[in-house]
Amino acid sequence: MKALFVRRSGAGYLLTGLLLLSATTLALEVNTRLLEPLRVRLASLLIPIFVLAEAPYLAGGGLGDVVATREMLLERNAAQAEEILALSRMAQQYESLKSENDRLRALLGSRARVTSRVLVAELIGVTPHPETRQIIIDKGSEHGILPDAPVIDAHGLFGRVIEVGAYTSRVLLVTDASHAVPVQLNRTGVRSIAAGTGEPFLLELENVPITTDVREGDLVETSGLGGGFPSGFPVGRVVSVRIESTAAFAIVGVTPLAQLDRARHLLILLDAPPELPANGLPETQSASAPEGNTP
Amino acid sequence: MNPFRGGWLILFTLLCAMVLAILHLPETWPDWLGWLRPAWVALVLFYWVMELPDRVGLVAAWMTGLAVDVLQADPLGLNGALLAAITWFGWRFYERLRMYTWLQQGAVIAMLLIGTGTVHMVVLALIDGRGVGWHVLASPLMSFFAWPMVLLALHALRRRIPVS
Repeated sequence: MKALFVRRSGAGYLLTGLLLLSATTLALEVNTRLLEPLRVRLASLLIPIFVLAEAPYLAGGGLGDVVATREMLLERNAAQAEEILALSRMAQQYESLKSENDRLRALLGSRARVTSRVLVAELIGVTPHPETRQIIIDKGSEHGILPDAPVIDAHGLFGRVIEVGAYTSRVLLVTDASHAVPVQLNRTGVRSIAAGTGEPFLLELENVPITTDVREGDLVETSGLGGGFPSGFPVGRVVSVRIESTAAFAIVGVTPLAQLDRARHLLILLDAPPELPANGLPETQSASAPEGNTP
Repeated sequence: MNPFRGGWLILFTLLCAMVLAILHLPETWPDWLGWLRPAWVALVLFYWVMELPDRVGLVAAWMTGLAVDVLQADPLGLNGALLAAITWFGWRFYERLRMYTWLQQGAVIAMLLIGTGTVHMVVLALIDGRGVGWHVLASPLMSFFAWPMVLLALHALRRRIPVS
């Protein structure tokens, strides 16, 4: 009986020690990135669990192909042929528009837009917590993914890579409360920041003065400011503009265009966006100012 | 025939609980259903520490928590502390807990989970600025109803595969 008693008091000390250890790791996690290698190592060990949890959906997709009827396949074929037609019509003019755009940009003295290389990745895991918007993809540093790489899907900006393992990476979605991206309105060029809210389909534009011209339906795209994301990728559409007479800023809700809940195949942009000039202004403004024009 | 005195079964059930913990619902289902997920890993760990207090250590519980942290994208160490606390409680009172009916056991673990869930929520609110709300009670309540299932399933497993 005595031995048991001794062990019991020992467990209390051990628990205290573990709680202190947890407090230490938490403090390290919040303030530094020291534990990131450990997290990446653990994540690659736990890949089978992610894959198992995702297996019903992965198998569901494969099964759907097997049991699809001839009519379904024909229907899908027809729809895709139609889509290809529409897309190739748009692509016909792309080359000429691009060269024209490059020429005009050369006239303005700014660099030509670089088209970045992309990598197709498949989703293999979803973080389950209702307020954490993160996913795991099946490509990692072995495939050339760098930390902070932007991620898009067929419709718009999806998020960014926050953690790169050897064969998997973790992507933070645009709707996560800790995600924000510099944007501009396509119609007016008004700049803002689209911050995630933690809600599944809602972003909010930050610091939009109530006098700004923002309407429902406006297209929001990345502005390329800040250097994190290349410019010109669609982010979402304005769905609500609420102006309270006592507030200085309008509350602008944006719904993301990317299919955050449905997309299984994602595109990772591999090339880092071009560095901004030292003065921090976007290249179109800083580089296009003719010399000698300054007072 | 029975390597590690059946310890692999404990590990296996914990891994199954982890899969259940991150198994997500179809995209078309409403988002708030995610709050109702029982704390599978804590339930399984609690079962083992109550039945075999010598086989489940605090350090092992803490390591399990580390894995849960990575799976759920929580800051490292958070779930380790919570699971270690639950394990310590189960270990300290296992004689008493074994005498309880499943209703009483479920009530005890629900209370424990309300405590740890609140700590989890407050820590994340301090770190990430997440919201604080009554939804913290949903998962412990569902865990209360999931407890008899865990109990029956693990009892049935143990009858077939002896663990000592």
